[in-house]
Amino acid sequence: MKKAIVVLFALVIIAAGVGWGLSEPTRLSETEVSALKEGDPGRGETVFWAGGCASCHAAKGAKGDDLLNLGGGLRLETPFGVFVAPNISSSQADGIGSWSLVDFANAMTHGTSPDNRNYYPAFPYTSYARMTSQDLGDLYAFMNTLPAIGGKAAPHELGFPFNVRRGLGLWKRLFLDPEPVIAAPVSGVQSDTKLWERGRYLVEGPGHCGECHTKRDFAGGLVLAKWLGGAPAPTGDGSIPDITPVEGAFGSWSAADIAYYLESGFTPEYDSVGGEMVHVQENMARLPASDREAIAAYLKAIPAVASAPN
Amino acid sequence: MIKKIMATGLAAGLLVAVGTAQAAEDPIATRQAIMASVGAAAALAGSMMKSEIAYSPVAGKSAIATMNAASHSYGAFFPDGSNASNTKAAEAIWDKPDGFAAELAKFNAAAEKAMAAAGKKGPADLDAFKAAMGPVFGTCKSCHETYRKKN
Repeated sequence: MKKAIVVLFALVIIAAGVGWGLSEPTRLSETEVSALKEGDPGRGETVFWAGGCASCHAAKGAKGDDLLNLGGGLRLETPFGVFVAPNISSSQADGIGSWSLVDFANAMTHGTSPDNRNYYPAFPYTSYARMTSQDLGDLYAFMNTLPAIGGKAAPHELGFPFNVRRGLGLWKRLFLDPEPVIAAPVSGVQSDTKLWERGRYLVEGPGHCGECHTKRDFAGGLVLAKWLGGAPAPTGDGSIPDITPVEGAFGSWSAADIAYYLESGFTPEYDSVGGEMVHVQENMARLPASDREAIAAYLKAIPAVASAPN
Repeated sequence: MIKKIMATGLAAGLLVAVGTAQAAEDPIATRQAIMASVGAAAALAGSMMKSEIAYSPVAGKSAIATMNAASHSYGAFFPDGSNASNTKAAEAIWDKPDGFAAELAKFNAAAEKAMAAAGKKGPADLDAFKAAMGPVFGTCKSCHETYRKKN
């Protein structure tokens, strides 16, 4: 009996040790760090809009130049608790003004903070992990030019076990994967491969479309087999639509319809964009027309997810 | 003759009364019908903006006038208790009535301005039409961002 207790005790210690090891926040490799170089703020502005940074980190309802004031504070009310968007302005004290490019890239692609803590995936680093080092460098350069906003945002409001940040290390091992979701355009659809790949980069990477348009499992990981097939809304009521080429639904939109929607906010039936998508559409309207065409080309040539979103 | 005019007037008055009564009885159907006319006006306007159909000042004015009429009437059909779950009207309409009223006022102001710009014969060319209708279009998503349910 005594022996059994000793064995059990040893097993618990080992499990805890393994768990601790597996939950260690990860970082960029030496090679990846050496590939980083501070970029061009002009190009970085395009990356900024493609990434939708302002939609969560600017004040609620901000328009025009106020979208560049990234003081945070927006509350995302989700089934896991309330996430409050932090200050990512260039403030040294309250924002990320003191961060190095490597700090920035570790946050964006590994969800790891400069002081080696795990970020919650409400910050969509699972998508940003697919961004190129060039885009990260350009975005970093642009964000350094934005105003310093004082004041830290309130902390997240999360219950157990979601308030244990260390546990996210395990979550990241399961769900953080920078590989493309869709390997190649669906056969039978005419598409310009270069354009399609640019669309894939924008949608799966900086645009982080899958974070809302793909349903999640009980652990909050995206169900990649149902990629972009629609999901219950992560905040508030209602649902986020299926944007795969399903016949009789989104599949009836032409590539030109999709590009026009992203530019103007009007569907082919001249219904208008609504909800959080208003911010996304207004961000996409700031990209070059060729990028909206690329997104459309990609969405026309991915597998259709037919089942009900819920 | 006078009798006939009075009878016609009475009949017309009755029709208006019946119309009002129907609207009061079914505000959901009424507001949905108004929004359907807004959608149709947007389709007419958008098709001309995209040059899918040729621009005509008459058609331009028709689209603007439809928006204007809707912006005057639409807000009257959201009485308390008309928040049925099968409509796209978001709870925020009743939770934040001041915010909703502000969005309706934006729609109305933009539509009235477009109406004034349209003049008697409608905006002369497509550029004038785009300039007049553009701000009205902007108010669609401004309101739908908060006051319409997600799909």
